Amino acid sequence: MTTALVGIGRTAYTRKSGRTTLAMATEAARAALADAGLTPADVDGIAAFQYNDSIGPPAVAHALGIDALTWYADLSAGGQAVVTMVRTAAAVIEAGLARVVVLYRSLNGRSGYRFGRADAGTAYGGTAQFTAPQGYNVPPEWFAMWARRHMHEHGTTAEDLGAIAVTQRRHASANPHAVARTPLTLDDYLDGRVVFEPFRIYDCTFEVDGAVAVVLTAADVATGTRHQPVWLHGSVDHQTTVGWEQWPDLTTMYAAEAGPRLWRTTDFSPDDIDVACMYDCFTYTVMATLEGYGFCEPGRVGDWYRAGHGTYGDRVVVNPHGGLLSEGYIHGLNHHFEAALQLRGQAGDRQVPGARTALVTAGGGPFGGAVVYGTERP
Amino acid sequence: MSNPPQPLPDPDTAGFWTATAEGTVRLCRCTACRTWLHPPLERCRHCAGEVAWEPILGTGSVHSFIVVRHAAVPGFTVPYVVALVALDDQPGLRLPSRIIDLAPEDAAIGMRVRAEVVAHPGGEFHVPVFRPEPDMV
Repeated sequence: MTTALVGIGRTAYTRKSGRTTLAMATEAARAALADAGLTPADVDGIAAFQYNDSIGPPAVAHALGIDALTWYADLSAGGQAVVTMVRTAAAVIEAGLARVVVLYRSLNGRSGYRFGRADAGTAYGGTAQFTAPQGYNVPPEWFAMWARRHMHEHGTTAEDLGAIAVTQRRHASANPHAVARTPLTLDDYLDGRVVFEPFRIYDCTFEVDGAVAVVLTAADVATGTRHQPVWLHGSVDHQTTVGWEQWPDLTTMYAAEAGPRLWRTTDFSPDDIDVACMYDCFTYTVMATLEGYGFCEPGRVGDWYRAGHGTYGDRVVVNPHGGLLSEGYIHGLNHHFEAALQLRGQAGDRQVPGARTALVTAGGGPFGGAVVYGTERP
Repeated sequence: MSNPPQPLPDPDTAGFWTATAEGTVRLCRCTACRTWLHPPLERCRHCAGEVAWEPILGTGSVHSFIVVRHAAVPGFTVPYVVALVALDDQPGLRLPSRIIDLAPEDAAIGMRVRAEVVAHPGGEFHVPVFRPEPDMV
Protein backbone atom coordinates (compact mmCIF):
# COMPACT_ATOMS: atom_id res chain seq x y z
CA MET A 1 0.00 0.00 0.00
CA THR A 2 1.18 3.49 -0.72
CA THR A 3 -1.64 5.54 0.69
CA ALA A 4 -1.10 7.97 3.54
CA LEU A 5 -3.21 9.70 6.13
CA VAL A 6 -2.06 13.31 5.86
CA GLY A 7 -4.68 15.45 7.59
CA ILE A 8 -6.87 15.31 10.68
CA GLY A 9 -9.66 17.60 11.81
CA ARG A 10 -12.48 17.61 14.32
CA THR A 11 -15.07 19.74 16.04
CA ALA A 12 -15.60 20.13 19.76
CA TYR A 13 -17.28 17.11 21.34
CA THR A 14 -20.36 18.22 23.27
CA ARG A 15 -23.63 17.02 24.72
CA LYS A 16 -25.68 19.40 22.63
CA SER A 17 -24.07 20.90 19.57
CA GLY A 18 -27.03 22.95 18.40
CA ARG A 19 -25.61 22.43 14.91
CA THR A 20 -26.38 20.31 11.89
CA THR A 21 -24.31 17.27 11.01
CA LEU A 22 -23.61 19.14 7.76
CA ALA A 23 -22.08 22.10 9.59
CA MET A 24 -19.96 19.86 11.82
CA ALA A 25 -18.79 17.64 8.96
CA THR A 26 -17.80 20.72 6.98
CA GLU A 27 -15.86 22.21 9.88
CA ALA A 28 -14.01 18.94 10.51
CA ALA A 29 -13.21 18.50 6.80
CA ARG A 30 -11.91 22.07 6.49
CA ALA A 31 -9.74 21.54 9.55
CA ALA A 32 -8.36 18.26 8.21
CA LEU A 33 -7.53 19.82 4.85
CA ALA A 34 -5.86 22.82 6.49
CA ASP A 35 -3.91 20.46 8.72
CA ALA A 36 -2.63 18.74 5.58
CA GLY A 37 -1.82 22.03 3.84
CA LEU A 38 -4.44 21.23 1.21
CA THR A 39 -7.59 23.05 0.15
CA PRO A 40 -11.06 21.88 -0.88
CA ALA A 41 -9.99 22.47 -4.50
CA ASP A 42 -7.57 19.54 -4.11
CA VAL A 43 -10.31 17.09 -3.07
CA ASP A 44 -11.77 14.68 -5.60
CA GLY A 45 -13.21 12.00 -3.31
CA ILE A 46 -15.30 11.93 -0.11
CA ALA A 47 -16.66 9.04 1.92
CA ALA A 48 -18.66 8.70 5.12
CA PHE A 49 -20.68 6.17 7.07
CA GLN A 50 -23.93 6.64 8.91
CA TYR A 51 -27.18 5.08 10.09
CA ASN A 52 -29.53 7.65 8.61
CA ASP A 53 -28.31 9.94 11.35
CA SER A 54 -26.01 12.17 9.32
CA ILE A 55 -25.42 14.03 6.11
CA GLY A 56 -24.05 12.45 2.94
CA PRO A 57 -20.88 13.34 1.01
CA PRO A 58 -22.42 15.39 -1.84
CA ALA A 59 -23.87 17.93 0.59
CA VAL A 60 -20.59 18.20 2.49
CA ALA A 61 -18.65 18.61 -0.77
CA HIS A 62 -21.05 21.36 -1.80
CA ALA A 63 -20.62 23.14 1.54
CA LEU A 64 -16.84 22.95 1.14
CA GLY A 65 -17.10 24.71 -2.23
CA ILE A 66 -16.39 21.58 -4.24
CA ASP A 67 -18.54 21.46 -7.35
CA ALA A 68 -17.86 17.89 -8.45
CA LEU A 69 -16.26 14.68 -7.16
CA THR A 70 -14.74 11.82 -9.09
CA TRP A 71 -15.73 9.37 -6.32
CA TYR A 72 -17.87 9.23 -3.23
CA ALA A 73 -19.32 6.57 -0.97
CA ASP A 74 -21.90 6.74 1.79
CA LEU A 75 -21.77 3.51 3.77
CA SER A 76 -24.88 2.52 5.67
CA ALA A 77 -23.32 0.95 8.73
CA GLY A 78 -22.05 1.53 12.24
CA GLY A 79 -18.60 1.38 13.75
CA GLN A 80 -17.73 -1.81 11.89
CA ALA A 81 -17.49 0.31 8.72
CA VAL A 82 -14.75 2.73 9.77
CA VAL A 83 -11.95 0.53 8.52
CA THR A 84 -13.99 -0.56 5.51
CA MET A 85 -14.22 3.13 4.62
CA VAL A 86 -10.48 3.70 5.08
CA ARG A 87 -9.32 0.65 3.15
CA THR A 88 -11.86 1.21 0.38
CA ALA A 89 -10.66 4.79 0.00
CA ALA A 90 -7.09 3.49 -0.15
CA ALA A 91 -8.07 1.07 -2.89
CA VAL A 92 -9.78 3.89 -4.78
CA ILE A 93 -6.67 6.04 -4.48
CA GLU A 94 -4.40 3.23 -5.58
CA ALA A 95 -6.69 2.47 -8.51
CA GLY A 96 -6.32 6.08 -9.59
CA LEU A 97 -9.99 6.97 -9.20
CA ALA A 98 -9.17 9.78 -6.76
CA ARG A 99 -6.05 11.41 -5.38
CA VAL A 100 -7.22 13.30 -2.32
CA VAL A 101 -10.05 11.76 -0.29
CA VAL A 102 -11.79 13.19 2.77
CA LEU A 103 -13.39 10.71 5.18
CA TYR A 104 -15.72 11.94 7.87
CA ARG A 105 -18.16 10.91 10.58
CA SER A 106 -20.55 13.55 11.88
CA LEU A 107 -23.31 12.89 14.38
CA ASN A 108 -25.46 14.43 17.06
CA GLY A 109 -25.04 11.23 19.00
CA ARG A 110 -26.13 12.78 22.28
CA SER A 111 -28.72 15.42 21.44
CA GLY A 112 -30.07 13.71 18.32
CA TYR A 113 -30.30 10.04 17.44
CA ARG A 114 -28.96 7.94 20.30
CA PHE A 115 -27.81 4.41 19.64
CA GLY A 116 -28.49 3.39 23.20
CA ARG A 117 -32.23 4.09 23.06
CA ALA A 118 -35.25 2.85 21.16
CA ASP A 119 -38.10 5.19 20.32
CA ALA A 120 -41.58 4.71 21.74
CA GLY A 121 -44.36 3.62 19.45
CA THR A 122 -42.08 2.42 16.68
CA ALA A 123 -42.69 -0.65 14.54
CA TYR A 124 -39.57 -2.57 13.56
CA GLY A 125 -39.12 -4.59 10.40
CA GLY A 126 -36.20 -6.75 9.33
CA THR A 127 -34.50 -8.85 11.99
CA ALA A 128 -35.37 -6.25 14.65
CA GLN A 129 -39.01 -7.38 14.54
CA PHE A 130 -37.87 -10.44 16.51
CA THR A 131 -35.78 -8.53 19.06
CA ALA A 132 -37.38 -5.11 19.65
CA PRO A 133 -40.70 -6.59 20.91
CA GLN A 134 -38.62 -8.50 23.48
CA GLY A 135 -37.19 -5.28 24.89
CA TYR A 136 -33.89 -6.26 23.32
CA ASN A 137 -33.00 -3.69 20.73
CA VAL A 138 -30.01 -1.54 21.71
CA PRO A 139 -26.30 -2.30 21.30
CA PRO A 140 -25.39 -2.37 25.02
CA GLU A 141 -27.85 -5.25 25.42
CA TRP A 142 -26.24 -7.28 22.65
CA PHE A 143 -22.70 -6.73 23.94
CA ALA A 144 -23.74 -7.42 27.54
CA MET A 145 -25.27 -10.70 26.35
CA TRP A 146 -21.95 -11.71 24.83
CA ALA A 147 -19.98 -10.52 27.87
CA ARG A 148 -22.10 -12.70 30.16
CA ARG A 149 -21.12 -15.78 28.18
CA HIS A 150 -17.44 -14.78 28.39
CA MET A 151 -17.83 -14.51 32.17
CA HIS A 152 -19.43 -17.95 32.24
CA GLU A 153 -16.70 -19.66 30.21
CA HIS A 154 -13.61 -17.76 31.35
CA GLY A 155 -14.54 -16.62 34.86
CA THR A 156 -14.32 -13.01 33.73
CA THR A 157 -15.32 -10.56 36.46
CA ALA A 158 -16.66 -7.04 36.78
CA GLU A 159 -13.19 -6.11 38.05
CA ASP A 160 -11.71 -7.33 34.77
CA LEU A 161 -14.01 -5.11 32.72
CA GLY A 162 -13.45 -2.32 35.22
CA ALA A 163 -9.69 -2.45 34.68
CA ILE A 164 -10.31 -1.38 31.08
CA ALA A 165 -12.65 1.47 32.02
CA VAL A 166 -10.33 2.75 34.76
CA THR A 167 -7.22 2.64 32.56
CA GLN A 168 -8.86 4.44 29.68
CA ARG A 169 -10.27 7.13 31.97
CA ARG A 170 -6.79 7.72 33.34
CA HIS A 171 -5.56 8.17 29.78
CA ALA A 172 -8.41 10.57 29.03
CA SER A 173 -7.50 12.72 32.01
CA ALA A 174 -4.45 13.89 30.01
CA ASN A 175 -6.56 14.60 26.91
CA PRO A 176 -8.11 18.08 26.82
CA HIS A 177 -10.49 17.02 24.06
CA ALA A 178 -11.99 14.14 26.06
CA VAL A 179 -15.48 14.61 27.47
CA ALA A 180 -14.93 12.37 30.53
CA ARG A 181 -11.69 13.30 32.31
CA THR A 182 -12.63 12.91 35.97
CA PRO A 183 -10.49 10.11 37.38
CA LEU A 184 -12.33 6.84 37.92
CA THR A 185 -11.29 4.34 40.58
CA LEU A 186 -12.20 0.68 40.49
CA ASP A 187 -14.57 1.32 43.40
CA ASP A 188 -16.21 4.13 41.42
CA TYR A 189 -16.62 1.71 38.55
CA LEU A 190 -18.12 -1.01 40.75
CA ASP A 191 -20.46 1.51 42.38
CA GLY A 192 -21.64 2.63 38.95
CA ARG A 193 -25.27 2.12 38.03
CA VAL A 194 -25.98 -1.33 36.64
CA VAL A 195 -27.74 -0.69 33.35
CA PHE A 196 -27.72 -3.89 31.32
CA GLU A 197 -26.40 -6.50 33.72
CA PRO A 198 -23.56 -7.47 33.60
CA PHE A 199 -22.80 -3.96 32.26
CA ARG A 200 -22.51 -0.91 34.45
CA ILE A 201 -22.75 2.60 33.10
CA TYR A 202 -18.94 2.82 32.87
CA ASP A 203 -18.83 -0.16 30.52
CA CYS A 204 -20.61 1.94 27.92
CA THR A 205 -19.33 4.49 25.45
CA PHE A 206 -19.83 8.18 26.15
CA GLU A 207 -22.30 9.42 23.53
CA VAL A 208 -21.52 12.91 22.21
CA ASP A 209 -22.22 15.32 19.37
CA GLY A 210 -19.33 16.07 17.04
CA ALA A 211 -17.44 15.27 13.88
CA VAL A 212 -14.04 13.97 12.82
CA ALA A 213 -12.50 14.08 9.36
CA VAL A 214 -9.28 12.66 7.98
CA VAL A 215 -7.58 13.11 4.62
CA LEU A 216 -6.07 10.22 2.68
CA THR A 217 -3.88 10.81 -0.36
CA ALA A 218 -1.71 9.06 -2.86
CA ALA A 219 2.01 8.91 -2.05
CA ASP A 220 3.03 11.69 -4.45
CA VAL A 221 0.61 14.11 -2.81
CA ALA A 222 1.46 12.94 0.70
CA THR A 223 5.13 13.79 0.48
CA GLY A 224 4.26 17.46 -0.05
CA THR A 225 1.89 17.89 2.89
CA ARG A 226 2.49 19.83 6.12
CA HIS A 227 3.12 17.01 8.56
CA GLN A 228 4.87 13.69 8.51
CA PRO A 229 2.54 11.38 6.57
CA VAL A 230 1.10 8.39 8.40
CA TRP A 231 1.29 5.41 6.05
CA LEU A 232 -1.13 2.54 5.68
CA HIS A 233 0.78 -0.70 6.07
CA GLY A 234 -2.05 -3.18 5.98
CA SER A 235 -5.67 -3.76 6.78
CA VAL A 236 -8.27 -6.41 7.31
CA ASP A 237 -12.04 -6.72 7.30
CA HIS A 238 -14.09 -9.61 8.61
CA GLN A 239 -17.71 -8.68 8.06
CA THR A 240 -19.72 -11.75 8.90
CA THR A 241 -23.41 -12.01 8.17
CA VAL A 242 -24.54 -14.31 10.93
CA GLY A 243 -25.84 -11.64 13.31
CA TRP A 244 -25.94 -11.07 17.05
CA GLU A 245 -28.12 -13.95 18.13
CA GLN A 246 -26.77 -16.84 16.04
CA TRP A 247 -23.02 -16.04 16.26
CA PRO A 248 -21.57 -19.43 17.27
CA ASP A 249 -19.14 -18.47 20.03
CA LEU A 250 -20.21 -15.41 22.01
CA THR A 251 -16.84 -15.35 23.80
CA THR A 252 -15.06 -14.39 20.60
CA MET A 253 -15.66 -11.56 18.17
CA TYR A 254 -14.83 -11.00 14.50
CA ALA A 255 -11.27 -10.33 15.66
CA ALA A 256 -10.60 -14.01 16.27
CA GLU A 257 -10.53 -14.32 12.46
CA ALA A 258 -9.41 -10.82 11.54
CA GLY A 259 -6.45 -10.75 13.93
CA PRO A 260 -4.57 -13.79 12.64
CA ARG A 261 -5.33 -12.77 9.05
CA LEU A 262 -3.99 -9.24 9.62
CA TRP A 263 -0.71 -10.49 11.06
CA ARG A 264 -0.42 -13.12 8.33
CA THR A 265 -0.83 -10.52 5.57
CA THR A 266 1.46 -7.82 6.99
CA ASP A 267 5.00 -7.65 8.29
CA PHE A 268 3.67 -6.93 11.77
CA SER A 269 2.74 -8.83 14.88
CA PRO A 270 1.14 -7.62 18.12
CA ASP A 271 4.65 -7.17 19.55
CA ASP A 272 5.38 -4.53 16.89
CA ILE A 273 2.46 -2.27 17.79
CA ASP A 274 3.17 0.84 19.89
CA VAL A 275 -0.33 2.32 19.99
CA ALA A 276 -3.50 0.23 19.83
CA CYS A 277 -6.68 2.21 19.28
CA MET A 278 -9.13 -0.58 20.01
CA TYR A 279 -12.74 0.05 19.08
CA ASP A 280 -14.47 0.39 22.42
CA CYS A 281 -18.18 0.93 22.19
CA PHE A 282 -18.08 -1.13 25.40
CA THR A 283 -15.34 -2.39 27.71
CA TYR A 284 -16.09 -5.93 26.62
CA THR A 285 -15.33 -5.02 23.01
CA VAL A 286 -11.80 -4.09 24.07
CA MET A 287 -11.46 -7.30 26.02
CA ALA A 288 -12.58 -9.65 23.26
CA THR A 289 -10.64 -7.85 20.53
CA LEU A 290 -7.41 -7.66 22.55
CA GLU A 291 -7.78 -11.43 22.70
CA GLY A 292 -8.64 -11.74 19.03
CA TYR A 293 -5.78 -9.60 17.80
CA GLY A 294 -3.43 -11.62 19.94
CA PHE A 295 -2.34 -9.14 22.60
CA CYS A 296 -3.53 -11.37 25.38
CA GLU A 297 -4.68 -14.93 26.00
CA PRO A 298 -8.45 -15.41 26.17
CA GLY A 299 -9.73 -14.83 29.67
CA ARG A 300 -6.60 -13.02 30.86
CA VAL A 301 -7.28 -9.42 29.89
CA GLY A 302 -8.09 -8.34 33.44
CA ASP A 303 -4.81 -9.79 34.72
CA TRP A 304 -3.03 -8.23 31.75
CA TYR A 305 -4.18 -4.74 32.71
CA ARG A 306 -3.51 -5.30 36.41
CA ALA A 307 0.05 -6.33 35.54
CA GLY A 308 0.56 -2.91 33.96
CA HIS A 309 -0.04 -3.78 30.34
CA GLY A 310 -1.97 -1.62 27.90
CA THR A 311 -0.74 1.63 29.42
CA TYR A 312 2.33 3.87 29.57
CA GLY A 313 5.47 1.93 30.33
CA ASP A 314 4.23 -1.18 28.54
CA ARG A 315 5.12 -2.33 25.04
CA VAL A 316 1.74 -1.09 23.79
CA VAL A 317 -0.58 1.65 24.98
CA VAL A 318 -4.26 0.91 24.42
CA ASN A 319 -6.46 3.90 23.66
CA PRO A 320 -4.17 6.68 24.89
CA HIS A 321 -6.90 9.24 24.16
CA GLY A 322 -9.38 7.49 26.43
CA GLY A 323 -11.23 5.89 23.56
CA LEU A 324 -14.92 5.99 22.89
CA LEU A 325 -15.46 5.21 26.57
CA SER A 326 -13.94 8.49 27.77
CA GLU A 327 -12.94 10.73 24.85
CA GLY A 328 -16.32 10.39 23.17
CA TYR A 329 -18.28 8.33 20.70
CA ILE A 330 -17.41 9.63 17.25
CA HIS A 331 -18.03 6.10 16.19
CA GLY A 332 -14.36 5.16 15.91
CA LEU A 333 -13.08 7.71 13.42
CA ASN A 334 -11.59 9.57 16.39
CA HIS A 335 -9.33 6.52 16.81
CA HIS A 336 -7.73 7.33 13.44
CA PHE A 337 -7.30 10.95 14.52
CA GLU A 338 -5.51 9.77 17.65
CA ALA A 339 -3.30 7.30 15.79
CA ALA A 340 -2.14 10.07 13.45
CA LEU A 341 -1.47 12.44 16.33
CA GLN A 342 0.56 9.80 18.17
CA LEU A 343 2.61 8.77 15.12
CA ARG A 344 3.41 12.40 14.38
CA GLY A 345 4.59 12.87 17.96
CA GLN A 346 2.00 15.61 18.54
CA ALA A 347 -0.07 14.05 21.32
CA GLY A 348 1.19 16.36 24.05
CA ASP A 349 0.94 15.12 27.62
CA ARG A 350 -0.34 11.74 26.48
CA GLN A 351 2.31 11.15 23.82
CA VAL A 352 3.40 7.53 23.67
CA PRO A 353 7.19 7.88 23.57
CA GLY A 354 8.70 6.95 20.22
CA ALA A 355 5.42 5.71 18.75
CA ARG A 356 6.07 4.40 15.24
CA THR A 357 3.22 1.95 14.64
CA ALA A 358 -0.47 2.01 15.42
CA LEU A 359 -3.22 -0.56 15.16
CA VAL A 360 -6.70 0.92 14.76
CA THR A 361 -9.65 -1.42 14.98
CA ALA A 362 -13.27 -0.93 14.01
CA GLY A 363 -16.43 -2.63 15.11
CA GLY A 364 -17.19 -5.45 17.48
CA GLY A 365 -19.29 -8.54 17.81
CA PRO A 366 -19.75 -10.28 14.46
CA PHE A 367 -18.14 -7.67 12.26
CA GLY A 368 -15.20 -5.32 12.09
CA GLY A 369 -11.70 -4.76 10.85
CA ALA A 370 -8.39 -3.08 11.49
CA VAL A 371 -5.70 -0.92 9.93
CA VAL A 372 -2.00 -0.76 10.71
CA TYR A 373 -0.42 2.67 10.35
CA GLY A 374 3.27 3.42 10.48
CA THR A 375 5.65 6.35 10.29
CA GLU A 376 7.81 4.71 7.62
CA ARG A 377 6.79 4.64 4.01
CA PRO A 378 6.12 1.01 3.01
CA MET B 1 -46.29 3.67 30.23
CA SER B 2 -45.74 3.96 26.49
CA ASN B 3 -46.26 0.96 24.31
CA PRO B 4 -43.39 -1.40 23.50
CA PRO B 5 -42.03 -1.65 19.96
CA GLN B 6 -44.28 -3.49 17.52
CA PRO B 7 -43.19 -5.90 14.81
CA LEU B 8 -43.56 -4.90 11.18
CA PRO B 9 -44.13 -8.19 9.32
CA ASP B 10 -43.14 -8.65 5.71
CA PRO B 11 -43.74 -11.50 3.26
CA ASP B 12 -40.72 -13.41 4.59
CA THR B 13 -41.74 -13.12 8.25
CA ALA B 14 -45.55 -13.09 8.19
CA GLY B 15 -45.79 -16.81 8.98
CA PHE B 16 -44.10 -16.27 12.33
CA TRP B 17 -46.71 -13.71 13.39
CA THR B 18 -49.61 -15.70 11.99
CA ALA B 19 -48.48 -18.62 14.14
CA THR B 20 -48.11 -16.61 17.33
CA ALA B 21 -51.57 -15.15 16.74
CA GLU B 22 -52.77 -18.77 16.88
CA GLY B 23 -50.82 -19.37 20.07
CA THR B 24 -47.97 -21.42 18.59
CA VAL B 25 -44.33 -20.75 17.80
CA ARG B 26 -43.38 -21.76 14.28
CA LEU B 27 -40.03 -21.07 12.70
CA CYS B 28 -38.89 -21.11 9.13
CA ARG B 29 -37.50 -24.48 8.03
CA CYS B 30 -36.10 -25.74 4.76
CA THR B 31 -38.27 -28.52 3.37
CA ALA B 32 -35.29 -29.93 1.43
CA CYS B 33 -32.29 -29.97 3.78
CA ARG B 34 -34.44 -29.56 6.94
CA THR B 35 -32.33 -26.73 8.35
CA TRP B 36 -34.13 -24.32 10.66
CA LEU B 37 -33.60 -20.71 9.58
CA HIS B 38 -34.02 -17.82 11.97
CA PRO B 39 -34.38 -15.03 11.00
CA PRO B 40 -36.53 -16.45 8.20
CA LEU B 41 -35.85 -16.27 4.49
CA GLU B 42 -37.88 -16.88 1.34
CA ARG B 43 -35.49 -19.67 0.33
CA CYS B 44 -32.94 -21.69 2.31
CA ARG B 45 -29.56 -19.99 2.54
CA HIS B 46 -27.80 -23.36 2.41
CA CYS B 47 -29.53 -25.14 -0.47
CA ALA B 48 -31.98 -22.53 -1.83
CA GLY B 49 -34.75 -25.00 -1.05
CA GLU B 50 -38.34 -24.09 -0.32
CA VAL B 51 -39.19 -23.22 3.26
CA ALA B 52 -42.21 -23.85 5.47
CA TRP B 53 -43.37 -22.69 8.90
CA GLU B 54 -43.02 -25.61 11.29
CA PRO B 55 -43.75 -25.79 15.02
CA ILE B 56 -40.74 -25.95 17.32
CA LEU B 57 -40.46 -28.27 20.30
CA GLY B 58 -40.77 -25.23 22.53
CA THR B 59 -38.01 -26.25 24.88
CA GLY B 60 -34.45 -25.09 25.23
CA SER B 61 -31.81 -23.76 27.57
CA VAL B 62 -30.45 -20.35 28.42
CA HIS B 63 -27.25 -19.85 26.41
CA SER B 64 -26.68 -16.37 27.86
CA PHE B 65 -28.82 -13.68 29.46
CA ILE B 66 -28.91 -10.08 30.58
CA VAL B 67 -30.90 -8.27 33.22
CA VAL B 68 -32.21 -5.02 31.82
CA ARG B 69 -32.26 -2.48 34.64
CA HIS B 70 -32.18 0.68 32.52
CA ALA B 71 -35.34 1.21 30.46
CA ALA B 72 -33.71 1.86 27.09
CA VAL B 73 -36.54 0.22 25.16
CA PRO B 74 -39.91 1.80 25.96
CA GLY B 75 -42.88 -0.18 27.18
CA PHE B 76 -41.13 -2.64 29.51
CA THR B 77 -41.00 -2.64 33.30
CA VAL B 78 -37.45 -3.02 34.58
CA PRO B 79 -35.83 -5.16 35.70
CA TYR B 80 -36.49 -7.89 33.19
CA VAL B 81 -34.47 -10.83 31.89
CA VAL B 82 -33.70 -11.38 28.22
CA ALA B 83 -31.97 -14.57 27.16
CA LEU B 84 -30.64 -16.15 24.04
CA VAL B 85 -32.53 -19.41 24.26
CA ALA B 86 -30.73 -22.32 22.60
CA LEU B 87 -33.62 -24.32 21.14
CA ASP B 88 -33.61 -28.10 21.39
CA ASP B 89 -34.61 -28.32 17.72
CA GLN B 90 -31.15 -27.66 16.25
CA PRO B 91 -27.68 -27.01 17.69
CA GLY B 92 -26.86 -23.30 17.57
CA LEU B 93 -30.43 -22.21 16.82
CA ARG B 94 -31.32 -19.44 19.25
CA LEU B 95 -34.28 -17.23 19.96
CA PRO B 96 -33.82 -13.91 21.76
CA SER B 97 -36.59 -13.83 24.31
CA ARG B 98 -37.75 -12.51 27.62
CA ILE B 99 -37.83 -15.03 30.45
CA ILE B 100 -40.96 -14.48 32.51
CA ASP B 101 -41.77 -15.51 36.08
CA LEU B 102 -38.10 -15.54 36.97
CA ALA B 103 -36.42 -13.36 39.57
CA PRO B 104 -33.33 -11.78 37.97
CA GLU B 105 -31.08 -13.19 40.70
CA ASP B 106 -32.28 -16.70 39.84
CA ALA B 107 -31.36 -16.46 36.15
CA ALA B 108 -28.53 -18.77 35.12
CA ILE B 109 -26.84 -20.00 32.00
CA GLY B 110 -27.93 -23.53 31.24
CA MET B 111 -31.35 -23.32 32.89
CA ARG B 112 -34.11 -25.16 31.07
CA VAL B 113 -36.96 -23.06 29.71
CA ARG B 114 -40.21 -23.60 27.82
CA ALA B 115 -41.92 -21.33 25.30
CA GLU B 116 -45.36 -19.86 25.50
CA VAL B 117 -47.13 -17.15 23.56
CA VAL B 118 -48.45 -13.97 25.19
CA ALA B 119 -50.34 -10.95 23.92
CA HIS B 120 -48.04 -8.04 23.15
CA PRO B 121 -49.27 -4.72 24.57
CA GLY B 122 -50.06 -1.85 22.25
CA GLY B 123 -51.27 -3.73 19.19
CA GLU B 124 -52.68 -6.95 17.83
CA PHE B 125 -49.54 -9.05 17.98
CA HIS B 126 -48.58 -12.00 20.15
CA VAL B 127 -44.96 -12.79 21.00
CA PRO B 128 -43.15 -15.86 22.27
CA VAL B 129 -41.63 -15.70 25.73
CA PHE B 130 -40.06 -18.41 27.82
CA ARG B 131 -40.55 -19.45 31.42
CA PRO B 132 -38.38 -21.70 33.56
CA GLU B 133 -39.30 -25.37 33.49
CA PRO B 134 -41.04 -26.18 36.78
CA ASP B 135 -38.20 -28.24 38.24
CA MET B 136 -35.82 -25.35 37.58
CA VAL B 137 -37.64 -22.85 39.80
